[in-house]
Amino acid sequence: MVEVGVKLALSLTQIAVVMGVVLLTVMFLTLAERKVLGWMQDRMGPMEVGPYGILQPVADGLKLFFKEDIVPAGANKFLFSMAPLLALVPALIGFAVIPFGPDLTVEVFGVQFKPFVISDINVGILYILAFTSIGAYGIILGGWASNSKYSLLGGLRSAAQVISYELNVGLAIVGVLLLAGSLSLVKITEAQTGWFWNWFIFAPPFPQIFAFVVYVISAVAETNRLPFDLPEAESELVAGFFTEYSGMRFAFFFLAEYANMILVSCIAAALFLGGWNAPAPFLQFHGSLAHLLWLSATIWFAVKVYFFLFLFFWLRATLPRLRYDQLMRFGWKVMLPIALGNILITAIAAYLFPRS
Amino acid sequence: MAMKIKDWLKTIIFYEILVGMKATLRHLLHYKPITLQYPHEKRTLPDSYRGMLSLLRYDDGIEKCVGCDLCEAACPSRVIKVISAEVPGEPTKRYAKEYYMDMTRCLFCGLCVQACPVDALGMTREYEWAVYDKRHLYLNKEQLLAIGDRAFPVREKRLELQHPNVAFFNVAFTHLPPKTS
Repeated sequence: MVEVGVKLALSLTQIAVVMGVVLLTVMFLTLAERKVLGWMQDRMGPMEVGPYGILQPVADGLKLFFKEDIVPAGANKFLFSMAPLLALVPALIGFAVIPFGPDLTVEVFGVQFKPFVISDINVGILYILAFTSIGAYGIILGGWASNSKYSLLGGLRSAAQVISYELNVGLAIVGVLLLAGSLSLVKITEAQTGWFWNWFIFAPPFPQIFAFVVYVISAVAETNRLPFDLPEAESELVAGFFTEYSGMRFAFFFLAEYANMILVSCIAAALFLGGWNAPAPFLQFHGSLAHLLWLSATIWFAVKVYFFLFLFFWLRATLPRLRYDQLMRFGWKVMLPIALGNILITAIAAYLFPRS
Repeated sequence: MAMKIKDWLKTIIFYEILVGMKATLRHLLHYKPITLQYPHEKRTLPDSYRGMLSLLRYDDGIEKCVGCDLCEAACPSRVIKVISAEVPGEPTKRYAKEYYMDMTRCLFCGLCVQACPVDALGMTREYEWAVYDKRHLYLNKEQLLAIGDRAFPVREKRLELQHPNVAFFNVAFTHLPPKTS
């Protein structure tokens, strides 16, 4: 009985910490995105609230919190209120299986406890894929329930786009799964320990660099970020699927988008760039400092994740939006064959030169 | 053939996208913003800046306007409305009894200033005229004179005191070279 209580308390603390870190990162990202975009376009970004505008996310949050909550006439109220939650919850729930640090086991009051992964389940990556697919429902239903043509068009585009590109995400990951021989993100990360050539992006017997490129492009498309932001194309569809949303419901969609960005960055870091592994073993705390391994490991993980997040901003500052037919052609005629070919070659290579 | 292979290579390594990303990264690293933080820092206005319109006075405090309506006729946007009247007790002289400018319509072309025969209109260098109520931009004579008073503290003499020939015609000959005595 005590054991169950301790377990529950530990899990809840862990969840609270992870959610807190994710939401703080989202807050930081909203500022960082505007700043980085501004700097890349010879602007300054937000400068008014606080020194150099660093309190802008707080001001934005307060503004959204006090905004009027409008449900448009003729909207399906139930689905309209449901959609933001359907978008947000799957985006946050995926963090349950991400390993943020080494696979340590600590014993607290007689309970085995892994501090750096909330739950190490053996279908980890499948779980994430399943839940990110549910996130698409939030967008589609939000677009449909708003009773607005812009929202509906945004929702429809999103449906088509998410389906096409989720396929590519799934297929790009298969190569890594073949090499690692496991679906658990902890096991996949552990298969990449050592030097950076053990990372699956460079790994023998067959480097997953093509899968990596396919994954990154498809991940950008799946999170509805530029240059694949057709569901919310502001120059064509006002704001796409969240045209009719205001206040906290809009904020939920916003949070979901940024949480999804962080999630796909975490997956990319864990699957292709070795997760919390350093490029070289001596760059982690080792030897007499081995008990601090978790510190350097989480820092390496954060560095990789932030690299991907910066890539998102960088692409946004550089590329214009794709046309709809270009998007579909690129997804089905270019990315899909590359992903399938990668699976084939990786399977042959993994069979001929099995990893020890 | 070699060209084709080169093009193909460029396609598969996303050459064009990488060039674009290099450009954006260069702007990030050599960060030189062209933004002006407007309310805190303001740009220098050009010499011929055409800002808010105003009515002017002579140095003895009499308003210059003679109520001739030429500005109203010259205005392409029908901003100006003049109601002219005789100066009480002086039947040969007229003045603008009421003078309105609807600044919501003004496009700051300056044609009224050019049309005015007595230089009674002036364009100031004010541009911060945002208001919460649109009706605050419907200015009457007192408001326009007040703008002129604060924008042009140095006033002209009466025309007849400037030069006898000018006083004869009672108009300003801006195109003619000044007469040497």
